[in-house]
Amino acid sequence: MKKIKIIFLSLVIGTGAIMLIEGCAATQAIADKSGAALWGENCIRCHNTPSPADFSDAQWETIGMHMRLRASLTKDETSKIVAFLQTGN
Amino acid sequence: MKKPITLLATGLLLMLSNGYSQGTASPDEKETAPKAISDAPGNTKFLLTGAAWADFYYDKDQEVKYNFNSYGFAPVFLWKLSDKLFFEGEMEISDGNFELEFAKLSYSLNKYMTFGVGRMLTPFGAFGERWEPAFVQRFPNSHLKGDDQYIPGENHLDWGAILGIDLRGGIPLGSSKMNYALYVSNGPSLDNTTGMIDYENLNDNNSNKGVGGRIGFLPLSNSSLEIGFSGETGIAGNQEDSVYVMNGEYRDYSKVKATAIAVDLNYAKAIPSIKSIIGIRGQFNSLSVDKADYAMDDSTFYPAFDNTFKNYFVQFSFRPGMSDNAFLKNVELLFRYNSLEAPADAPWGPKDKNGKGGAVTRTDIGLSYWLSWRTGIRLAYESTTLPDDEKSNQLLVRFVMGF
Repeated sequence: MKKIKIIFLSLVIGTGAIMLIEGCAATQAIADKSGAALWGENCIRCHNTPSPADFSDAQWETIGMHMRLRASLTKDETSKIVAFLQTGN
Repeated sequence: MKKPITLLATGLLLMLSNGYSQGTASPDEKETAPKAISDAPGNTKFLLTGAAWADFYYDKDQEVKYNFNSYGFAPVFLWKLSDKLFFEGEMEISDGNFELEFAKLSYSLNKYMTFGVGRMLTPFGAFGERWEPAFVQRFPNSHLKGDDQYIPGENHLDWGAILGIDLRGGIPLGSSKMNYALYVSNGPSLDNTTGMIDYENLNDNNSNKGVGGRIGFLPLSNSSLEIGFSGETGIAGNQEDSVYVMNGEYRDYSKVKATAIAVDLNYAKAIPSIKSIIGIRGQFNSLSVDKADYAMDDSTFYPAFDNTFKNYFVQFSFRPGMSDNAFLKNVELLFRYNSLEAPADAPWGPKDKNGKGGAVTRTDIGLSYWLSWRTGIRLAYESTTLPDDEKSNQLLVRFVMGF
């Protein structure tokens, strides 16, 4: 168990170190990703991707906030995805 | 207690530094902001969503071989009160039981951080928060978990809900990304007669709080892979709890601690060249309780044992979702391997032929047919092997509807 704890702690510290090295900023290409790209990349990891027509514009706003919490998305990512889904309606 | 107080103080400080401002988007934010809503008067936006399901099984070894054995309805209530305030709650009514699964109030502190309070799905591993909803799971049932028929009680942290506070969010890291969820909760509660842990500790049994969380790392620029590391630790024993037996011996349980860790992995990728979507997901959990003698009855203590409980699963899925064939594109093929291992010398859990605790393993082969993105029929053939080599096989069917 002690070995598992050491490995676990090392991975967490390693992740933190990478975070510091990278400076907590997105590259321009990542920051410029469209809502459609973010929708396609993020939703599919857990569930099938819904169609924009599945919910109304108002409902997408609510779902966006729900998924921001559930998937720990940033506010910018959430806003882009919601805007894309609303545009498709 | 210093850690919980520090976390709480940090959260409040950030809240204050944010000035409680609502709806004050920066110019950058405005460019990507959702468009103005015209079809819903007022600021509050409510949505009722959730899932319902009905199950059937065939088991040639059971007395009742064919059985419509389970059903459920789990409405989720979502309220967006403003750009910063949000409430989410879920009730589950299944097999005649009614339970409030979670009721959580959240406040967005900034682009990268949200503060939450209430009864919340445990941010420990990925299964409990993300993969547990019936319409998200591809199989008719879950993987082998700590509350399955093999392990009594609520000896699990990898799913279920805690009562407490959390801070969570996502952070860009160059071409990668990470996310975090850190929480303080009532923590674990120890059953000092068996050494089992209950994380559904709604009325805390001691002043110590459980501190834990999950850090997720998405190393690839297309976010197709996520690896998560979770941990929690806290005193589980009852406050000032000493148990005496008839001969005057006593044991102090007030310092007995429970520590849990988990690693989860999730990979999903649409591959146009084979017109398919492949998925790999899995999670490993380990829960360790400090060694202690447990008071089995009024006269004897059960000798201390290595109280470590482990379980894991790995799941593969393949769906030709981009196929031109209307039937094939809705079919998803599934494979899952599960393992659950109770402590070898515990008075509970599955035992081998020598009375020692061992692993229950299960191999699941399944097929899901999707009628919509959240509604479908799931079939699975599951083969279970107990530590004493006893085997059982079941055919499971579930119809699930997300709404």
